[in-house]
Amino acid sequence: MSGQGRVSLRGVRKVFGRFVALDGIDLDIEPVEFFALLGPSGSGKTTTLRMIAGLDTPDKGTLTVDGADVTFAPPGERDVAMVFQNYALYPHMTVRDNIAFPLKMAGTPKSEIDALVREAAARVRIDQLLHRRPGQLSGGQQQRCALARAIVRKPKLFLLDEPLSNLDAQLRLETRVELKKLQRNLNVTAIYVTHDQEEAMTLADRMAVYLEGTIKQIGTPAEVFDRPNCVEVAAFIGSPPMNIVPAMLDGRTVTIEGHRIELGWQPDCLAGPVTVGVRPGGLRIDGDGIPTRLYLSENLGETRLLNLELGQVLIKMRIAQSDFSPDVETVPVSFDPDSIHLFDAGTGRRVEAR
Amino acid sequence: MNVHRRARITRTVVLMVVASALLLVWVLPLIWAFVVSLKSEREVLAYPPNVVFEPTGANYVAALFGDFSIVDSLATSTIVATATTVLTILLAVPAAYAFARLRLPAKKPLGFYTLATQMVPPVGLVIPYFLILNQVGWLDTYHGMVIVYLTFSLPFAIWLMVSYMEDVPREMEEAAFLDRASRLQTLWHIVIPQVRGGIGVTVIFVFLNAWNEFLFAVQLGGNTVRPVTVAMYNFVSVEQTLWAKLSAAALLAMLPVVVIGIAGQKQIVKGLTVGAVKGGGRK
Repeated sequence: MSGQGRVSLRGVRKVFGRFVALDGIDLDIEPVEFFALLGPSGSGKTTTLRMIAGLDTPDKGTLTVDGADVTFAPPGERDVAMVFQNYALYPHMTVRDNIAFPLKMAGTPKSEIDALVREAAARVRIDQLLHRRPGQLSGGQQQRCALARAIVRKPKLFLLDEPLSNLDAQLRLETRVELKKLQRNLNVTAIYVTHDQEEAMTLADRMAVYLEGTIKQIGTPAEVFDRPNCVEVAAFIGSPPMNIVPAMLDGRTVTIEGHRIELGWQPDCLAGPVTVGVRPGGLRIDGDGIPTRLYLSENLGETRLLNLELGQVLIKMRIAQSDFSPDVETVPVSFDPDSIHLFDAGTGRRVEAR
Repeated sequence: MNVHRRARITRTVVLMVVASALLLVWVLPLIWAFVVSLKSEREVLAYPPNVVFEPTGANYVAALFGDFSIVDSLATSTIVATATTVLTILLAVPAAYAFARLRLPAKKPLGFYTLATQMVPPVGLVIPYFLILNQVGWLDTYHGMVIVYLTFSLPFAIWLMVSYMEDVPREMEEAAFLDRASRLQTLWHIVIPQVRGGIGVTVIFVFLNAWNEFLFAVQLGGNTVRPVTVAMYNFVSVEQTLWAKLSAAALLAMLPVVVIGIAGQKQIVKGLTVGAVKGGGRK
């Protein structure tokens, strides 16, 4: 195992026909990092992964791995392994032959192949299934087989394209933990594509948030969650994501629907229209708050999610079950000043504290 | 409940009757030929036909070991059909893969004009082919005959194989590329095993077509290359037609076709419906 695996993309652009899949992608992934590419479908995260794999080539820009330019190198020369969303196991081969295939292609001596296959299979606990065909495996076992095939030749980069999306919810949670452990044990750089932010948040050391072919933010999950750098990221991250409400700023005072909220900090712009972002947990029922109309109440078990009409926008508020009374029509809402994020109404960029 | 059941029974009965009637249309000539092949030449011409007669195997003996034995022709047919099939598969599999997967300049027109020989009535090609083979001195040779057959079998085989190749998920090949397999290794280890069914169908169709071919065989063959379809005409002469021996020879010539047809029944049906449903033709 090489401890290396530093990936850099510079100014990468990719166009399919008239559709700009990626534009101006700059990305640095550190060795041994678990890095998530997070974004909705069509945002370019899979295209990025395929470029790192060598299955697609950029129209512009460069890609280096450990300092070597591999922008146009064929996939086989990159020392990367990939787990595909649908696993892409070879259906006519047994599990053993599937795992052995990359070794055979690399010219590993027959005598070593068997031991390596056993070791890889044991790591993902499918060593009892080596004689089966992929068609005779459950979804979870197929996934493990794909993992074993990827790790068997100890690649420099471990690429995963939504590997958990075909598993049922229970198995997804279990596999998530194992995946992280596996990456730690193997001590290998992992690049992980997902549209599921919970996966990205729990697995990744750092992540890049993709929206419409560009990277909006790169950072640790905590950074991205706590300090989204633009309104698009704010509106994407979180389940449910931040409420986005138009407001006016004047000094330390934010005015929403005629109600004034004093911020505990001084924004670095003085006055004008802004966008307020606040998570559903940053709202409170408060007799003196802004009146809103109850649109729908969703029972989440432990908590309740209220959908409220605030002026022209629909906001979501999370409350305790005990705070809910079913027969109300209007709910007065107050914003926790410390939970408020401000964004420039024009550019959408985050407004920092002065 | 009862109404549904009765409707279902009625439907089954109607289906059976219609199917049997249609089947009879195809089977009757075979039955007739079989009956004729068991009669003596004299009895064949009896009018009205004798329903009761003493069956004889003499015609089969004559067809196989008589003056006009078809054994040599059967061998010729086997050589020509086998060679055509083997060469077709060797060329059509990589060609189909290229059409299905590679980014080639002018791929669409290439694919279209591959079918050129299928667009012209075969009769229109006999004379040009005759002249060409005559020029290069390949008339009545095995290689000449096989090359002519290839011009028909290849377009058909390529296009049949393309539909199978396209059914193989791309990710599977991409996984192989990442596993350091070259394109040819990927074709050999990953793609071909998954289109085995398609190759089977193609083998059957190509072999049967080459075996059954008559028009080109009679024009471009001769005394050296005389497939069984042509050789049977030895039983037809200006003075008389030896119907019983002709029937026996025809049935013998049909035998391999029938055997292959029955053996490959499942594959053939799949081959006919390939592409109808996504993934429907695979394996």
